[in-house]
Amino acid sequence: MKEESNKDLIQVMDPDGRIVDKSALKAIKESDMLEMYRLMNFTRLWNSKALSLQRQGRMGTLASVRGQEASNVGMGLALGPEDWFCPSFREYGAMFARGIRPEELYRYWGGDERGARPLEGSRVMPVCITVGSHLLHAAGIAWGAKIRGERIAVMSSSGDGSTSQGDFHEALNFAGVFKLPVVFAIQNNHWAISVPVEKQTASETLAEKACAYGIRGARVDGNDIIAVYSTVKKLLDVARSDYRPALVELVTYRMDDHTTADDASRYRTKEMLAPWQGKDPIDRLRKYLSAEHGWDDQKEKGLIEELTAEVEQCVKEYEGAPHPPPEQIFEHTYAELPWHLREEREELLQQVGDAEK
Amino acid sequence: MREVFRLPDVGEGIAQAEIVEYLVNVGDSVKADQNVVRIETDKAVVELPSPFAGTVAEIPHEPGDTVNVGDALLVIETEAKAAEEKTEQREKPATEKPEKPEKRPAERPRAVEKTEKPTAEAPPAETAPAERVMATPHTRRLARELGVDINIVKGSGPHGRITDEDVRQAVSRVPSAPPKAPTAAAVQAPATAGFDFEKYGPTRRVPLKGVRKRIAEVMARSVSTIPHVAHFDEADVTELLQVVARERSLAESRGIKLTILSFLAKAAAAGLKKHPMVNSSLDEETGELVFKDYINIGIATDTEAGLMVPVVRDVDRKSILEIAADLQELSKKARDRTIDLEDLRGGTFTITNVGAIGGTWATPIILHPQVAILASMRATKRPVVRDDHVVVRTMMPLTLSFDHRVLDGADSGRFINHVKELLEDPLRMLVDVA
Repeated sequence: MKEESNKDLIQVMDPDGRIVDKSALKAIKESDMLEMYRLMNFTRLWNSKALSLQRQGRMGTLASVRGQEASNVGMGLALGPEDWFCPSFREYGAMFARGIRPEELYRYWGGDERGARPLEGSRVMPVCITVGSHLLHAAGIAWGAKIRGERIAVMSSSGDGSTSQGDFHEALNFAGVFKLPVVFAIQNNHWAISVPVEKQTASETLAEKACAYGIRGARVDGNDIIAVYSTVKKLLDVARSDYRPALVELVTYRMDDHTTADDASRYRTKEMLAPWQGKDPIDRLRKYLSAEHGWDDQKEKGLIEELTAEVEQCVKEYEGAPHPPPEQIFEHTYAELPWHLREEREELLQQVGDAEK
Repeated sequence: MREVFRLPDVGEGIAQAEIVEYLVNVGDSVKADQNVVRIETDKAVVELPSPFAGTVAEIPHEPGDTVNVGDALLVIETEAKAAEEKTEQREKPATEKPEKPEKRPAERPRAVEKTEKPTAEAPPAETAPAERVMATPHTRRLARELGVDINIVKGSGPHGRITDEDVRQAVSRVPSAPPKAPTAAAVQAPATAGFDFEKYGPTRRVPLKGVRKRIAEVMARSVSTIPHVAHFDEADVTELLQVVARERSLAESRGIKLTILSFLAKAAAAGLKKHPMVNSSLDEETGELVFKDYINIGIATDTEAGLMVPVVRDVDRKSILEIAADLQELSKKARDRTIDLEDLRGGTFTITNVGAIGGTWATPIILHPQVAILASMRATKRPVVRDDHVVVRTMMPLTLSFDHRVLDGADSGRFINHVKELLEDPLRMLVDVA
């Protein structure tokens, strides 16, 4: 196993919650940190409940985000109110930070397309499963904003695997040439399903790829939410004011399987996982809050209880909502259904009709 | 209340799983979302959390057992209150009809289900449900094309999915009800499968599509279905060519290009009328000969996209100039791809005038489900014997390929003789042809 590179890694807080760069803390209030802590915990509880629902046959599938909560929530909170966000599919924390309703994401993973409807005013694009294609969407939105003279920034988030896609090259090159207000965040969670990042690229870091496109690159400890938040925020500010695009690599780790249909133990050893067990993003912030802001067990217990109840409420709303009509799966792709899908649709409706008789 | 935790589809389309280990024993109390059993699917080993809080009442399996999606994994005795809440939650959706989960493919499989069911309800999941067969649209189309009822095909793919191969095998297994014209290409595995063309040098691949693909299918079907016989003859067209030359200006004055092909079509129509067997088809399904009271002759036409066969209708009822006019229009439409599909259908016989390009002999392939095709080759001046003298005449070779299931050599001979007589003596056409 390759030694984890620490090259140019931006860190504010070490894994024990000790501050290594005090200057970054100046711009962050205690209430901001509590909000980060709350959202990270909510994301984790929401995620583990979804996994449980899936294993009970109550949810279609899920791409677990455990371990990446700091990258998620940090970048989501860093976005300005008018900024756009183009997620892939492992950014629940960032989407919650933008106001996306958690029960809607349950619906999405439960197979109900209505859960993918963009929330009006959130400026969050729908989940993008196609790897890397949304980097181009982000570049396009940024270009449009620049042409209209709007002072906004756009951010995409994708995984390490997306950096091997042609779309990644096109989007970064375009952003560099046209000087677009866009930040491409890469959650380097070390795995593209079963392909480790060492096999993804021969570059030492993903951030250094920015160099080739003439844009700024930054590499951040993705399990350090303060570093994620402050770095991404700075990059977004510069993108917005100076039209300077950037690539930011958030170094984190996917602690679970790729999705519920995967079994990471087939390609990932315990030894690989071990170094990351001690770098948990939530533990880290809790240690800091305990040491510096009087966070204690009672507050912790109260928060977890409150968030668990919120999650249970989401489950109720998700499971209580009427099922989508079965023919929904045929909608939204074709304006006019091709013959084979028309045939399938008719067959399905007939069977549903028969079953209801 | 007793609640049953059934095996859900935990892996995007698994059908069954093996029990690795139960993490609880009968009598244990369990919390909701507590892991209770570890299972192995073909994708992963996963731990399943209980959807219910309560006491383990029954463990119906042992480690090593294989269970299907929908089978009971665990029975849990819940507190009544908790159970009521559950019921309330589940019954809320307005669109939900009385539960018949086994018959509702549109709904995701229900892992959570009460054991106390009225007996009048649908049968339990364990009895094989009448499911929609699984097959891709491509396989379904293949089945339609081969005349196979996909509902009776046994699937060998994952979760009983029907594969193309299953459909093809079903074709070969049902001799009593032969499918409509199975194609050679469809029945056998492609002979070129796994053939390494690149081994011998660089290659270039172009997909077979459109007209070309259609020709490939039709020809393969024809050759694999029809026992072909080719009957050769030649006609002395010396006088006919003189007639064509003489009447050409009349035709041109009406904007029509007159060629020997129109005469050939007319002569063939006369032959077909006299020998209706040659104008028939074999209904392979019923084993009946279908005699047609109409004579529509397809004319094989070379186009950029490949061979097309536009059909001149009612040739027996048209004058030679009318036939020539039709031919002219149809071949133009075929060449610039504006031809209607209807103009390519309904032929009862085909003429291919390969001679326009060249060649002395050919053995054309019959356009299934017709039973014969006539090829006219290049007419050339040749020394022939007339009244014991060698003279120079313009001879046109003819080949009739025929379906030996329907016609014999004698039928073919008589037909060709008649066509030949008319071609050799154009006046006969005037006298004898309607």
